[in-house]
Amino acid sequence: MQISTSRFGLIEINETDIIKFNDGILGFENEDKFCIVDPNDQTLIVWLQSVKTPELAFPMIEPQIFKADYQANLLPADLASVQLENQAQAYTYNILTIPADISEMSANLKAPIVVNPNTSLGKQIVLQDNKLEVKFPMYKELKAAILSFKQSDDSVRTSYRPAKATEKADAQTQVRMITLSRPDAV
Amino acid sequence: MLVLTRKLGESIAIDDHIKIVVVQIKGKQVRLGIKAPKETKIHREEVYQAIQDQNKEASSASPASLDSLSKDLNDK
Repeated sequence: MQISTSRFGLIEINETDIIKFNDGILGFENEDKFCIVDPNDQTLIVWLQSVKTPELAFPMIEPQIFKADYQANLLPADLASVQLENQAQAYTYNILTIPADISEMSANLKAPIVVNPNTSLGKQIVLQDNKLEVKFPMYKELKAAILSFKQSDDSVRTSYRPAKATEKADAQTQVRMITLSRPDAV
Repeated sequence: MLVLTRKLGESIAIDDHIKIVVVQIKGKQVRLGIKAPKETKIHREEVYQAIQDQNKEASSASPASLDSLSKDLNDK
């Protein structure tokens, strides 16, 4: 199927790429279907794109990229909400706020997006840890991470992200990241 | 909404496992003690508000917002 997006134009997705957010996203409770789009630029940032609203997408990133010690401690009820058996199976992302001055970019550590790639269920989970920041500045760390990725080749980069899940399950049941062709290759 | 009046030290029970106690009253401030099972999430309302605001702000970004990041990287 095709979905239209204001940022990436028409994109082709499979029904199985759709991640169901039964509770929506906080502040966007009516949005329950998303897919993950990788614009395939050099930034390591992916987008949580609404399937029904072309204009709605959230930039997000895997926390390990900029904060190696980040740990989303999910409670049993959190795991159950996306039918996860254990935390290791989850994809975890932090939503990014990108202001005009990009050096003030921040990540929401308090309420990560947690996706179960096997059931295609996702949820923005508010963690109980009060030390976690909603706006954690991380521009410098992101830049350093990208620069170190750039030194390695692209195959290393692409295997870095989906590795967690693709290694252990068959591709048919997995949520796929929609990778767009490189803009600079056109 | 159910409204109950409580005095200092008195409490409210919600279901079988959640208890809310008025610990201190000081002018306009009330301190509440909450006893609940570990899996119960308890947050100040502002936390949810902050997350909603952050989500709204985040959704206004476009890949073009990242141009200056790309520029920054390529300068290196």
